[in-house]
Amino acid sequence: MSARAAIVEARGLAKVYPMPAGPVEALREVSLTVEPGDYVAISGPSGCGKSTLLHLLGCVDTPTSGSLLFEGRPVLALREEERSRIRLRRIGFVFQRFYLLPMLTAWENVELVQSEAGLPAAERRARTRELLTYVGLADRAGHRPSQLSGGEMQRVAIARALANRPGLVLADEPTGELDEETGEQIADLFDRVNADGTALVVVTHNLALAGRARRRLAMRSGRLAEPAAVAAT
Amino acid sequence: MSVRLLVLFLALGLGAPARAAAGAASGSEAPEILVSRGLLRECGLSPGDVVMLSADPHGADARLFRVAGVYEPVPDPARFTAKRLEARMHLPDLLALTADPGEAAAADAVGAINIALKDPADAPAFARELAARAPAMSVVPAAAADDEHFVIIERFHLAISVVTMIGSTAFLLALMVIRADERREVAGLLRLLGLRRRRILAQALLEGLAIASAGAVFGVLFAAATQGAVNAFFQWRYDTTLVFVRVTPAIAARCVALALPLGVMAGLMASWTLLRRPVLDLLRR
Repeated sequence: MSARAAIVEARGLAKVYPMPAGPVEALREVSLTVEPGDYVAISGPSGCGKSTLLHLLGCVDTPTSGSLLFEGRPVLALREEERSRIRLRRIGFVFQRFYLLPMLTAWENVELVQSEAGLPAAERRARTRELLTYVGLADRAGHRPSQLSGGEMQRVAIARALANRPGLVLADEPTGELDEETGEQIADLFDRVNADGTALVVVTHNLALAGRARRRLAMRSGRLAEPAAVAAT
Repeated sequence: MSVRLLVLFLALGLGAPARAAAGAASGSEAPEILVSRGLLRECGLSPGDVVMLSADPHGADARLFRVAGVYEPVPDPARFTAKRLEARMHLPDLLALTADPGEAAAADAVGAINIALKDPADAPAFARELAARAPAMSVVPAAAADDEHFVIIERFHLAISVVTMIGSTAFLLALMVIRADERREVAGLLRLLGLRRRRILAQALLEGLAIASAGAVFGVLFAAATQGAVNAFFQWRYDTTLVFVRVTPAIAARCVALALPLGVMAGLMASWTLLRRPVLDLLRR
């Protein structure tokens, strides 16, 4: 019996987008539990619903039906402000396109979310320095995203994702815009993040990155395949 | 000293070309008049010249006057396009010039006179008292007539400024909406990361305030810097000393007081239209 409560517990999630040509079922009966320290990789063809699932797990969007608990709290019952607070303090996001704020330096990008979370300035400075050192960019702290390479931008994004010590980091195609070698470096960094105790859910086409996860899941037409079925393929 | 034929349109409305009346009086004995700067220039006069004036369109009963000096007519906003070809003379000379020689009483008759009071604020009381004592006389404070002109001009300016404000506010709002939409992705990202709408709106408010302040200061400085050029052009164009533009501290303060809330409102409205949309809509290309 597990002594630790699940970070995310999804049961029978469905997401339907109403479209002029008729409703589109992006997710059908998806169930998934993410425990603290988990490392889950989700793969599947484009348009199968991977990103939609990630958005639901990250409290960015709400399911059409099903139940979703985040650290025991029912996400559907939460107001937008409360879901924002969960995203700010408990979840880190890493995207394919990095999504750094172009007008801020690497330092400021990492510090911004801590500032919003209300951390005192001295703590913010120490944590930002620690994180930029952790991702190997202490010497690029004053650089803006336009002055960084793709790999460096993604490392800044990872530092930002970890800034408020989240229990879960969600990554959507984090190596999608990087060359193989840089992708390997990012995968190494994810290994370290996970080894340090942060749960990871990575949506990726990159088999090498997916291969590093302890649990590998496949999605097809909005359904999450059983791990056993994945293992068999 | 030359004796010239002077074409004069008198303010009394009697005017037409006056003809020289030979031997009417010698130049040295002629009564003095002042001529307006426009008249001086138009007729090529200079102080000391002797001219003939007549109230008759054909120049009958012309009299000699000596130009003692020149004066600048008080600018009249209601007539700033008119050429100010005027002369000032002593009241007896005016009566002598305009009175009907066949009517004895005409020399004593005056249609209208202006009275300057030591304290212009007494004008309404003075007018009331005079009207009570001489019921046949129509007494009107001159300031009231001037005020009427300015009330109309003020209304005209107000209407122009209201239309300008509405137009510029719509333009500003459109600009802010475009600017906000350019930052759609940034707003979406900030919300996805968990920043509260209130915080993003506060940021937009500060930005709107800064832009509106800068715009208002620039507008006031631009107006202050160019008012001289605008006045110089129109004063040259209409040959008047009338001041067309004057940026006073009160006008500047009113402009800033209007511009700041409008700028902030435009910024907030534009941001709010963006922030109402779902996070994922903002991030989608």
